[in-house]
Amino acid sequence: MTTLAKPPTSDDTAIAEPRLRSAIRHVVTTAWLFPSAALLIGLFIIPTCYAVYLGFTNLELLGQYAQNYNFTGLANLQRMIHDPTFWLSVKLTLIFVIGSGVIAQTVLGLALALLGQRVNVIARSSVGAIVILAWVLPEITVAFVWYSFSQAGGTLSHLFGVPNSDLLSTVPMLVVCMANAWRGTAFSMLLLSAGLRNVPREVDEAAQLEGAGYWRRLFTVTLPIIRPTLMINLLLITLATISDFTLIFAMTQGGPGNQTAILPVYMYIEAFQFNQLGYGTTIALTLVLIGAILSIAYIRQLRPELQDSTS
Amino acid sequence: MAKIVLRRVTKSFGQKVAVDDLNLEVEDGEFVIVVGPSGCGKTTTLRMIAGFETPNMGTLHIGGTLMNHVPPKDRNLAMVFQNYALFPHMSVERNLSFGLRVRHASKKEINTQVHEIAEMLGIRPLLDRKPAQLSGGERQRVALGRALLRKPQAFLLDEPLSNLDAALRTQMRFELKRIHAQFPVTTVYVTHDQVEAMTMADRIVLMNDGELQQVAPPETLYAEPVNVFAAGFIGSPKINLVSARIDHSSGGSALRCLATAIPLTTEIADQLRSAQSETVTIGIRPEDILPQSPMDDTPGRAVVSGTVEVIEPLGAETHIAVRVGDDILTCRTPPRSGLEMGSTINLSFDIAQATIFDGTSGLRLC
Amino acid sequence: MSADQLVTTEREVTAPAVVRKRRSLARPVLNVFMIVIGLVFLLPLLWLILASFNPTADGTLAMPHPFSLLNYHLVIRAGAGAAIRNSLYLAGVSTVIATAVSTMAGFMLARRKIRFKGLVLVLILFLTGLPITLLLIPTYQIFVHLNWLNSKFYTSLVLASMSVPFSIWLLKNFIGQVPGEFEEAAAIEGASEISILFRIVIPLIIPGILVAAILTFINSWGSFLIPLVLDANPSDTPGAVGIYQFMSANGQVQFGQLAAYSVLFSVPVIILYLISSRWLSGGFSFAGGVKG
Repeated sequence: MTTLAKPPTSDDTAIAEPRLRSAIRHVVTTAWLFPSAALLIGLFIIPTCYAVYLGFTNLELLGQYAQNYNFTGLANLQRMIHDPTFWLSVKLTLIFVIGSGVIAQTVLGLALALLGQRVNVIARSSVGAIVILAWVLPEITVAFVWYSFSQAGGTLSHLFGVPNSDLLSTVPMLVVCMANAWRGTAFSMLLLSAGLRNVPREVDEAAQLEGAGYWRRLFTVTLPIIRPTLMINLLLITLATISDFTLIFAMTQGGPGNQTAILPVYMYIEAFQFNQLGYGTTIALTLVLIGAILSIAYIRQLRPELQDSTS
Repeated sequence: MAKIVLRRVTKSFGQKVAVDDLNLEVEDGEFVIVVGPSGCGKTTTLRMIAGFETPNMGTLHIGGTLMNHVPPKDRNLAMVFQNYALFPHMSVERNLSFGLRVRHASKKEINTQVHEIAEMLGIRPLLDRKPAQLSGGERQRVALGRALLRKPQAFLLDEPLSNLDAALRTQMRFELKRIHAQFPVTTVYVTHDQVEAMTMADRIVLMNDGELQQVAPPETLYAEPVNVFAAGFIGSPKINLVSARIDHSSGGSALRCLATAIPLTTEIADQLRSAQSETVTIGIRPEDILPQSPMDDTPGRAVVSGTVEVIEPLGAETHIAVRVGDDILTCRTPPRSGLEMGSTINLSFDIAQATIFDGTSGLRLC
Repeated sequence: MSADQLVTTEREVTAPAVVRKRRSLARPVLNVFMIVIGLVFLLPLLWLILASFNPTADGTLAMPHPFSLLNYHLVIRAGAGAAIRNSLYLAGVSTVIATAVSTMAGFMLARRKIRFKGLVLVLILFLTGLPITLLLIPTYQIFVHLNWLNSKFYTSLVLASMSVPFSIWLLKNFIGQVPGEFEEAAAIEGASEISILFRIVIPLIIPGILVAAILTFINSWGSFLIPLVLDANPSDTPGAVGIYQFMSANGQVQFGQLAAYSVLFSVPVIILYLISSRWLSGGFSFAGGVKG
């Protein structure tokens, strides 16, 4: 009954699947990946590699270097380092990402998520719907609404107490940051609400029994528990904001006088208005590099939690 | 209907050997239950028969055909899953008829068969419902119905009763037995519940750690377990396992255990001579140990004395745990025995009724 | 030790009462606070709607006097309808392509053993983070070489590829949540691979497919930079570019007409969002099919 010794015998070997059938199965298995692979390779991988090359050329949109462009080594990089507008653009990008994205959207989103836990259902769902509506609107619509709002005589100018000044000329960066915060808060609110719902109620109740007040519980219990969600929120907001183009471009075209030319806008201006496709690509590559550095920083912060949750 | 033959079947996942050199024959129309602790390879065995896993080695024949690389859809089997796997987007009727529909059976045939099976299982009023609207027991019936409908070569069940409550489980055990009597299809049934195995199986296949332990009808498995594992797995309360030393002295052989020496007949003593070591494990079923009344003095029964530690009244009987030296013996006693915790009690058993296993290999000696 | 215990017990008795009292005091204040934030968020939306009905609108929030559909009438005559049809084409074509392609890939990645699967998944995740700004110039160059510029179809192909990485992830996860037993049960009942995909998997992940499709549609619908650069053909102009051109046209900004244009352009995505949010938050479950 029990089998202890088992010397291998001739009929004991693995019964192999017929080779042809296994080959057919393999092709059928992978064939369904081909269409998406074609799209991703053709329109993602190849352009990415091509971008790395173009960033080191003097390609132009029109003129003599449109057809016969050549490899110019580090010329674009050198130009970039000595380009004060580029450095202004980096600064503006960081202000835009950190000010309107990381700080404003996250703080507002978290506040709304926390309030949502404690206010009555009608207030929560109606305010939630308004905030989400702002997020669902096409970006061009948001740009137009805030453009109009900040005109001389616009409602925003009235609220600021300077009814006769055009805010997009006087404080352009502030206006575009406000527009972006208005538009993006819903994402943080939704993500963080979901995170807060997953905080076990018992943990909070245990802290209450220990006599901890609301703020203490928020900072020592709730926020540490949703820290992974917060970090993911920051990561996604950063990646979305850093490559944002439409909102600012439609509102200001980067102006006045490059005062709102964040990197994507500056890239567009250099590439398609000043015809400098090669230099534009260098700027785009820098943008990706900044995004990658920020992402890695967030993921580093996130790693301990991820390991905890898997072990 | 078909005979299922597994010959030298081995399946491993990476480094882990799930099923090791398994030989098993399930006769045509037989109801076989594969039982064992979780991770013993029973589910992997079933999934190999179904075709969801391919054996690394060995052969699988169903109805005389080599099946190793035949995809599940061409094996003409039916299966009831632990979670039933009823298609949530289809009504009960469409769940039942799924197999016939993918085979492009005629509408008329589908209709007749669905209603016939629904009638038999008492689920006719449910035909238009979705699985989410059914109770656990009803889902179970629909899953059975879906499997029975096509008259498959063999019927595979993967822990089909484990998601039901206790009362429903007992009821479904009867029902499964009735259905099998009505349609004697070759059935392989996997469970970790020894009660299901004992009550329903024609033969039980006991597995542990990927290896086959014993294949036998329930009564045989209970009375003649091949090794310590088999003895310990089947039976509730568990068999008492006591280690003992063999003492072949001039005055006759004896087993030293439970703070006493139990004399052995020469017949048993001879069987124990094949033991690899001096120690053996004695297995005594709880019902074979009796509290000794003062008048009772049957000759040939070993008598040990101990302290009552736990009393579990179950109504029809009472289980008591008695500490004897370093061992604890569980025995079944009649109800209302008037025993008290901490009291001293004498227990008697007949060593000839006990099973004795080799202390090293765990195999049964007698 | 015993003193500690005493203190703890005391707290346990008193704490809930204190907490309850504070909460009941704070509630109305919090409600007011929430509503104030809501009003601030509402202002721009309110302006947009009111301005669209006001032929003499400017940047100030004001009641139209009288309510008029003139703005809508004028922008439709100025080509808003054609632009929205172009948006419909770009969003529709890219959605069909991206969703079909991603469903197939998602099914394979969720269910089949594929060599280097982990690497492929990481690569796809990485692609979701690549900004279009990087791809824009090389794609433009490639389009110049292939003579694909100024074509609505090729522009929608780019829009589709922008959504594919995310859609694959979404659908792979959706399919991964469907218990494999459904497919096994279908297989043992005699269903072929294709049959399993169409009779079992696709019906079960329709919510996932819808979510992926709607997100792709909303993204493509609002896309601005890609059609701006890749398709300069005036008859192909989609809504987003149309609004931009209308905004930056010389002369007085027509706030009322632009508001009407924006409302027309926004309504479809708002409707789609409402549909998809039902699926997103509704918590589609496979309860009933498995377990109790």
